[in-house]
Amino acid sequence: MANSVNISIEAPIENQIQEITYDGQEIYQAPLSMSENLARLAQKIDFSKADDDYCNIKKEGESSTDVKSEEDKDPGYQSSLWPWDSVRNKLRNALTEVSVLADVLSIAKEKRYMVLDPIQAEQPESRPMVQVYGRKKALSAAGAVLLNGVERLRASETMRMTRNMPDFHIDLLRLRQNWRLKKVSNTIVGDLSYRTAGSKFSQTGVFEVTKAPEDQIAQAMSLNASGPAPSALRVTVPPELQGVAFISVLCQKEQEDVVTATISSSAINCPGTLFGDGADLHWQQKLEAAQNVLFCKELFARLAAEAVQLDASIPHMVVGNQIMATVLPGIQLLIGLCHNNRQNTNGNTDNVKTEGATSNKNEHDHVLEHSLHQLLRAVHHANTHHPFPHPATGPLGPSKRRSLAGPMAADRYELLEMSKEQSLLEQIIQQAQHFFMRRRSEYVLDTIAKEVKDPLIVSHWNALNSPTQSCVKINIMANGYDAVCRTSLVVAVGEKTLKCICRDGKVRHLSYELQELRDLIYCQVYQHQMTAVQAVARCMGWQLLASSSHLGSGPVEPLGNASSCLLASPYGDRMIAIRCEPSVGIQVFIAQSPKKDFYVSELVQDKKWEYLGGAFKEVKLEKMEGKNFLNKMELLMACLSSTS
Amino acid sequence: MHRNLPQNKEALLKSYTTRLKDDVKSMLENFEEIIKLAKGDNESQLNRMTQIEQDTFEMQVRAANIVRAGESLMKLVSDIKQYLILNDFPSVNEAITQNSKLFRTKQQECDQKLMSLRDDIAADLYDLEDEYFTSIYK
Repeated sequence: MANSVNISIEAPIENQIQEITYDGQEIYQAPLSMSENLARLAQKIDFSKADDDYCNIKKEGESSTDVKSEEDKDPGYQSSLWPWDSVRNKLRNALTEVSVLADVLSIAKEKRYMVLDPIQAEQPESRPMVQVYGRKKALSAAGAVLLNGVERLRASETMRMTRNMPDFHIDLLRLRQNWRLKKVSNTIVGDLSYRTAGSKFSQTGVFEVTKAPEDQIAQAMSLNASGPAPSALRVTVPPELQGVAFISVLCQKEQEDVVTATISSSAINCPGTLFGDGADLHWQQKLEAAQNVLFCKELFARLAAEAVQLDASIPHMVVGNQIMATVLPGIQLLIGLCHNNRQNTNGNTDNVKTEGATSNKNEHDHVLEHSLHQLLRAVHHANTHHPFPHPATGPLGPSKRRSLAGPMAADRYELLEMSKEQSLLEQIIQQAQHFFMRRRSEYVLDTIAKEVKDPLIVSHWNALNSPTQSCVKINIMANGYDAVCRTSLVVAVGEKTLKCICRDGKVRHLSYELQELRDLIYCQVYQHQMTAVQAVARCMGWQLLASSSHLGSGPVEPLGNASSCLLASPYGDRMIAIRCEPSVGIQVFIAQSPKKDFYVSELVQDKKWEYLGGAFKEVKLEKMEGKNFLNKMELLMACLSSTS
Repeated sequence: MHRNLPQNKEALLKSYTTRLKDDVKSMLENFEEIIKLAKGDNESQLNRMTQIEQDTFEMQVRAANIVRAGESLMKLVSDIKQYLILNDFPSVNEAITQNSKLFRTKQQECDQKLMSLRDDIAADLYDLEDEYFTSIYK
C-alpha cells in the first residue's frame, strides 16, 4: 500500500467540551457527579430494549478488558454469534446458582447436615498492652514453676543439713562394706547367706535395701533425740529369716513319753523379738539376726539329714524341729531348733510363756551349742580352704592325705579310711558322751574322796583338754606321810571309755560303767595302805618278813584279793601282821616273843621255844590314838620297838 | 582400669553420659524456647487471646520441663553415687581386708586373754583341789 496515509489516533476525551475560545483553547465541561451521572444514565434507560443495552454494556465491558484489540474488531463480530447467546448463558448460570442456593437453604433448614452460623464480624484489633500483660503473666507463671522446683530441692537439702539427717549413700556405703550387695534392675538386693564362706545350704538369704521414708526418719529422730541417729536405710528380710533363732542342746535322762516331752520342750523360752521393734532396729543387727537364723537353719537341716542317714544301734529320731540321739544308755541328747518368728508368736504367746516358766530351769548346754556352731563353721572353712596344691581354675582339690596317697602307695583300705568323714552329729554325740563321762568320773572321784577319809584321795583335773579328751591325776596319800608314800595314777577320760595308767605302769581300760572306776580306786587305796605301811616300817627300822598282795586265804573278795604283810621289830621280839581286805577293811595283829603265856608242856619242854612268838592278837585300831592308819601304825611300831 | 568392663556396665556408663547431656540440653532448649515465646513475634492465624493463653501454657510446661531436667540430674547424681558404691570393688576389698585384720587382732587378743585366764584358773584350781581334798570338810 504505497499510498497509505498515516492516521493519528487520539483517545476520546473523557469530558465534553463546553466551548472553544477564540484562541483555540478548549474548555471542558466539569465531570458529572455520581448522582448526576446516575440521573443521566437513568434517563437513558429504555426499558423496552433493556436486553440490548445489557448486551451492549457487556460488550463494552469485554472490549474494555481488551483495549488493544478494540480498534481491530470488525463490525460484524457479533453476527457470528446468536445475539441472545450470552443472555441465555447468563440466565442459565443464574438458574444453576439459584437452584444450588435453594438446595443449600433446604439442607440448612433441616439442620441435620448443615448449620448456618452467623459470621462474627471481625473483632477490633486488641491493643498491644493486653499482649504485654499476657506475656508478663505467662512469664511469671513459668518463673513460679521454676522457683517451686528450686524450693523443693533446697528444702530437702536444708532439711538434711540442718536436722542432721542421715545420708542414704553413706549408710549404703557402710552396708556395702559389710554385706554383699548388687543392683538388680531398680532395686538393691543383698545376700546374707554363708555361700561365700563355704556354705552349701540351699536356702537363699536375699534381702532388699530400700530408702527409708524421710518422715519416718524425722519421727524416729524426734522420738529419741539422744539416741543414735536412725538409719536412712530400710532392710527387708524375707519372712522365713525374721525373728530370733537358736539351737538348743539338752541332755536329759531318757523319758517314757519321749515325743510329748520333746514337743513341749521345743518351745523353749525363745525371746520374742530382739530389743526394739523391727522398724527401729538398726540394719546391722537386723541382718545379723537374720544371718543367725539362716545359720541355725542350716545347722539343724544338716544335723537332721545326718540323723536320718546314720545307722546307729539306737536309731536317732527326728521329730518336728527336734533331733533325739542316745548318748549313753539312759541318756538322751536333744537338739532343737528354736525359731521365733513374729508371725507365729501371736497365736501361742501364752503357750510359750507357760512353757518358758517350766523349762527355764531345764538349762540347756551352752558348751555343746557352741561346739555345734564351731563344727559347722569348721565345715564351711574346709569347703573353701583346700590344701595346696590345687588347680588354680577351681576350688576343688584333693586333700593333703589323698595327694600323699599316691607317692606313699596307699592301698584300698587306707583310701577308704581317708574318705570316711565324721558327721557333725557323730562329733557332737562324742562330745556329749565325753561330757557325761567326765561328769560321772568327777562325781565318782568326789564321792570316793568323801567316803574314804583315811588315805586322802586328791584328784587334779588337767586343764589342757580337747572336747573329747580330758585327763585327771589322782594322788593317794596319807596326811603327814605324803613324803613317805604316795600312789598316783592317771585316768584319761575318753568318749565311752576310761584309760587308767597306774603307778606300776599297768594300763587298764574301763568302760562307761563307772562302778569299774570305783572298784579300781578302792583297790588302789588298799594297795596304797599296804605299801605305805611297809614304807613306814622301813623308816622305823622294822623288817618286812613277808608280804603278799594276793592272798589266797580267807573268804573270796568281791573285788580284788586280800593282801597282807608281816613285819618284825628291830629286835625281832615283836611282830605285826596286817591283813587288808577291800570289803572288810584293815586288820592289824600283833604277836610278841617271848610269849607271856608260855608254859612248859609235855610236848614243848624246852624254854627256848618261848621266843617263837605267841598267838596273834588283833589290835582295835579304832580305839588307838593317831590321826590316821599310818600314824597309828607308826605309834604302834614305836610302842612295840621299846625294849621295855 | 575401665578397659575390661563388661558390656552392660559399659552401656550403663554411657547411658549416664547421655542422660547428663540430654538433661542439660533439655534445660537449655526449654529456656531458649521460653525466651523466644517472650519475644512473641510469631505470626499465626490464631486469635490473639488464644495465642496468649497458649503461650502461657507452653511456658509453664517448658518451665516444668526445666525443673524435671534438674531433678533428673539430681537422680543421676544419686544413681552414679549408688553405682560407685555398689561397684567399687577395690574399696570394698580394702574394707574387707581392714575388717578381717581388725577381727584377727581382736581374735588374737581374746585368745591370749583366754589363755592367760585359763592358766591362772588352772593354777588356782590345782591349789584349790589340793586344799579341798586334804581338808576334812568335803
